[in-house]
Amino acid sequence: MVLEEEIPRFAAWIGPALLWYLFAGSLVAVLVAAVAWLVQSALYGPLAAGDRVYRGVLSGLVDLSGMSLRRIWALSRLAVQESLRRNVLVVLGIFALIVLFAGWFLDPTSVNPGKLYLGFILAATSLLVCLVTLVLSVFSLPADIRGKAIQTVTTKPVRTGEIVLGRIIGFSIVGTVLLALMGGVGWAFVVRSVRHGHEIAAEDLVEIRNDDGVSTGQEGRTSLDRGHRHRVDIATNGTGRTDTVQGHRHTVLTVKSGVQNGSSDQVTYEIGPAEGLLEARKPLRGTLRFVDREGRPSAKGISVGAEWSYRQYIEGGSLAAAIWTFGGLTEQSFPEGLPLEMIVRVFRTYKGEIERGIAGSVRVRNPSSGLQSDPFYFQAKEYTIDSLTIPRTLATTSADGGTRQIDLFADIVSNGRVEVVLQCLESAQYYGVAQADFYLRAGNGSFAFNYAKSCLGIWFSMLLVTAMGVMFSTFLSGPVALLATLSVVLLGQFREFILRLFESQVTGDTSIVPGGGPIESLYRIVTQTSITLDLDPSTTVTAMKTLDTFLLAPMRLGAALFPSLATLGTGDFVAGGFDIPVDLLAAHAMETFGYLMAFFLVGSLCLKAREVAS
Amino acid sequence: MPSQNAVNRSEREIVVETRNLSKTYRDFWGRSKKVALKPLDLEIRRGEIFGLLGPNGSGKTTTLKLLLGLIFPTSGEALVFGRDATDVSKNERIGYLPEESYLYKFLDAEETLDFYGRLFDMPPEQRKQRADALIEMVGLSRDKKRQLKEYSKGMTRRIGVAQALINDPELVLLDEPTSGLDPIGTREMKDLIIDLKKRGKTVIMSSHLLADVEDVCDRIAVLHLGELKELGRVEDLLRVTDVTQIRAKGLSTNAHEEIRALLKRHGGEEIEIGNPRTTLEDLFLEVVRDTQARPGRRARTSGISDT
Ligand SMILES: Nc1ncnc2c1ncn2[C@@H]1O[C@H](COP(=O)(O)OP(=O)(O)O)[C@@H](O)[C@H]1O
Ligand SMILES: [Mg+2]
Repeated sequence: MVLEEEIPRFAAWIGPALLWYLFAGSLVAVLVAAVAWLVQSALYGPLAAGDRVYRGVLSGLVDLSGMSLRRIWALSRLAVQESLRRNVLVVLGIFALIVLFAGWFLDPTSVNPGKLYLGFILAATSLLVCLVTLVLSVFSLPADIRGKAIQTVTTKPVRTGEIVLGRIIGFSIVGTVLLALMGGVGWAFVVRSVRHGHEIAAEDLVEIRNDDGVSTGQEGRTSLDRGHRHRVDIATNGTGRTDTVQGHRHTVLTVKSGVQNGSSDQVTYEIGPAEGLLEARKPLRGTLRFVDREGRPSAKGISVGAEWSYRQYIEGGSLAAAIWTFGGLTEQSFPEGLPLEMIVRVFRTYKGEIERGIAGSVRVRNPSSGLQSDPFYFQAKEYTIDSLTIPRTLATTSADGGTRQIDLFADIVSNGRVEVVLQCLESAQYYGVAQADFYLRAGNGSFAFNYAKSCLGIWFSMLLVTAMGVMFSTFLSGPVALLATLSVVLLGQFREFILRLFESQVTGDTSIVPGGGPIESLYRIVTQTSITLDLDPSTTVTAMKTLDTFLLAPMRLGAALFPSLATLGTGDFVAGGFDIPVDLLAAHAMETFGYLMAFFLVGSLCLKAREVAS
Repeated sequence: MPSQNAVNRSEREIVVETRNLSKTYRDFWGRSKKVALKPLDLEIRRGEIFGLLGPNGSGKTTTLKLLLGLIFPTSGEALVFGRDATDVSKNERIGYLPEESYLYKFLDAEETLDFYGRLFDMPPEQRKQRADALIEMVGLSRDKKRQLKEYSKGMTRRIGVAQALINDPELVLLDEPTSGLDPIGTREMKDLIIDLKKRGKTVIMSSHLLADVEDVCDRIAVLHLGELKELGRVEDLLRVTDVTQIRAKGLSTNAHEEIRALLKRHGGEEIEIGNPRTTLEDLFLEVVRDTQARPGRRARTSGISDT
C-alpha cells in the first residue's frame, strides 16, 4: 500500500494539532464575524451592525448553555422518523444488489482477490452510507423551512443548536445502522468469497530423493480451485506447505487412516484454509535514504520519468542502494530473527525473461560500526510481497576474504537500530522503492478487528458528511447545500494537488505543478502548448496567471479549512492486509470530533441568524 | 416563578410591548421588497384578549411573527414578558398557532403532542397526561392514532390548537384561528378562546373576520397596509355617540308615526328603523375609505390609555 507520510504518534501529534485547531478556529470565527458585520452594515449601518453581531454571538453562546438532552433526543428521533419515511432502507436493497453483482464481475483469479474484494466492498459501503446521510441531511432542514414546520418548532424553547445537533445525531444514527448492516454483510461476503480449499491425492505427489536415494519428502500440485493451484512440498514428517499464489498459502497435513491388509495404509492429504489472504500485519517501519551509483549518499533515488514520484529508483549493477534504518529492536520482540517483508517495484529497461524476477540482494548493517552481513539474494517480482527472515546467526566476510559467524543482536543491532541495505544486481534494471515498502513484521492483528476499524473510518466520514450537510443546509437551499458538500468532498479528494498547484501559482515555480491553473491550462489546450513549456511573458499571460491565482485562492482556502474525507479512509490498510495503527485512528477520531464541533457551531449560529419564517 | 413575579401578576402587568416596531421584507440582495409593518406601538396586558384586525396582507401575521422572534424587526423592538422577542427562553410560556398548522405530517396526534412536549423538556408522565387531556379537549380521541396527513382541515386546526397549549402557556398567539372552520368549529374555537381568558391567559389573535373579533376580543387593533388605524376597546370603537338606534317589536304603523313625530319634535333627523348592521364592518370600511382620502393618517398610539 502507499503511505505518503509517516504516521505520527498520537501523543506527539495531538499537541500541535490542538494548537492549530484553536488558531484556525479563532481565525475563522473572526472572519465570519467580520463578514456578518459587513453584511449587516450594508443594511443597518456600521454601529447598529456591530451591536447586532455582538448580541447575536452573545445570545448564541447563552443558547448553547441552555441545551437540553431531551430536546436534542426528540429532534434526533424526528430525524430518524423522517429518514424512515423517506425510505432510506431501500439503500440496503441497492447494497445487496451491488454485492450480488460483485460476486459476478470481480475476478476471483486476480493477483490478490482479498485485496480486490475488500477494496470494493469497503468503497461501496463508504459511498452508499455517506451518500444516503448526505442527501438526508442536506434536504431535511430546507424542507422544514419551506414547509414551515420549523416555525412550530422554533416557537418552542428550542435552541438552534439543538435543531442542528438533533439532525446530525438523527441522521448519523441512520448512517450508523446502515453502516453496521452493510459492514456485516460485506464482511460475510468477503470472507465467503475468498474462502476456498484445494485437494491433492496421493497419486499427484512424487517422492523426492537425494543423491543417496533417501526420500526427503514429496512434491506435487493441488487441484485447480478459484482459478489457481499451488505447488506442494511435504516433508518426511508428513506436514507441508504450499507455495504462495494470489497472496496466500495453505498448510498440508498427511492423514493416515485404517490399517487394512497389513501394510497398505489409506493415505489422504488435507489442505488447510488459505493463510495470508485476510490479514492485519503490524509493520515496524523505518526511515529510508539512498546511495547513488557512485556510492555517495543522496537524498533521492532516480526518477524514471512517467512514474509518480512516490517511489524512488535505484540502478542495478552499481553501488546504488536503498537503506532503511529500523529502530527500537529488542531481542525479546524478535527472538527468531528479523521478519523482513519487502515490496519492490521493478522497472525494466529491457524485458529479459519476464517470468523470472530481477535479482537483488539485502544485507543488514550495524549503523554505528558499519559491520555488515553477507547478502541474502532474492528475486523481485511486481505486485508480490517478498518475505525474508534475517536469522539470528549471520555470516560476514571480511576484507581479507575470511568468513565468520556473527550474532544479529550482539553484533549488528546497535542501540536497537539496524540498517537494511537493498541493491539491485542486474545492470540496466531498476528497483523502485518507497519508505513504506520495507518493514519488519512485528506482529499480527486480528483481521476482523481491523475490518471493524476500517468501518470506524467510514463512520468518521459519514459523521463529517452529515454534519457538513446539515451545516450547509442552515443557510443554503437543499440542492445548493448538496452541491456545496459535494464540492468540499471533491476538494478533499484533490487537496494535495490544490495545495501544490496554488504554491506553484504563487511562487511562479512551474516545476511544482507544470501547466498552471484552470485558465492557463485551457489556453494551453487551445493553443496546443506543452505543459512543460514556459509561456512567453506578455500582458495576456500575466492577466491569465493573475486570474488563475484568484480562482485558485478560494479552493486553497477551502482545502485548508475543510476536512479531507480521502485521508480518513483506511480501506487501503485493510485491503493491503495491514493493521490500521491505533495512533492513526485516534488522530482521525480527534480530527472528526474537531470538525464536528466546528460544523455544529457554525450551523447553529447560521440558523440563529436566519429568519426561518420569511 | 420567582416571588417578584407574583407581585407583577396584577391586572396591569404588561405582557407584550412593541416600540416603534417595523418590518420591511428584503430579497436575497438586501433590497427592500415589501414594507409589511410600519412603526407600531402596542401594549398588551395580562388577561386580555387582544385582536389584530385587518384584511389579507395588512401585516397581522408579520406582527405575530415579530412577537415570536421568527423574524427580526427592521427597526424598533418587541418585548414579550419584558424580554426581547428573539430570546428563546420566553417560549416556555408561549403557545402559538400558526396560520396553517405547520406540523409533521408523518406523525400521528399522540406522537405530535409527545414531540412538542419533549421540546418543552417535559418528563414522560407529564407529557402523556397533557397530551391525553388536550386530545380529549379538542375532540380527537378517536383519531389520535392516525397520521396527520390523513386529517381534514378542521382536525388539523384542532391538533394545531392542542399543540399550542401543550405547555399550558400564559400567552397564546393565534393566527387566524377561525379561518377555514365551519360555523360550529368557529363557535367552538371562540368558546375555547374565552375559556382561555377565564383561566387567566393572555390571548393575541388575528383575524380578517370582523364578527369573530367583535365577539371575543377585549381590545382590537385595526391594521391596514401595515399601518395601525384604530386601537381601543371594542365597545368604545363601536359606539357611535351621535346616532340613536331604535329597535322595537310589535309596534303598529300608528306607533311608528308617533315615534317619527316625537323625533321631529326633538330636532332629531330620522335615519332608518330596521335591522342593525354589523357595525364593526362599518368601522372597518370607514378605515379603508379614510386611508384612501387621507393617506398616512395614524391611530393615536397611546391607545392603551383609554382602557
Ligand atoms: N416573506 C415575505 N417576503 C416578502 N413579503 C412578505 C413576506 N411575508 C409577507 N409579506 C408581505 O407582507 C405583507 C403583510 O403580510 P402578512 O403579515 O402575512 O399579512 P396578513 O397576515 O395580515 O394577511 C403582505 O403584503 C405580504 O405579501
Ligand atoms: Mg396572515
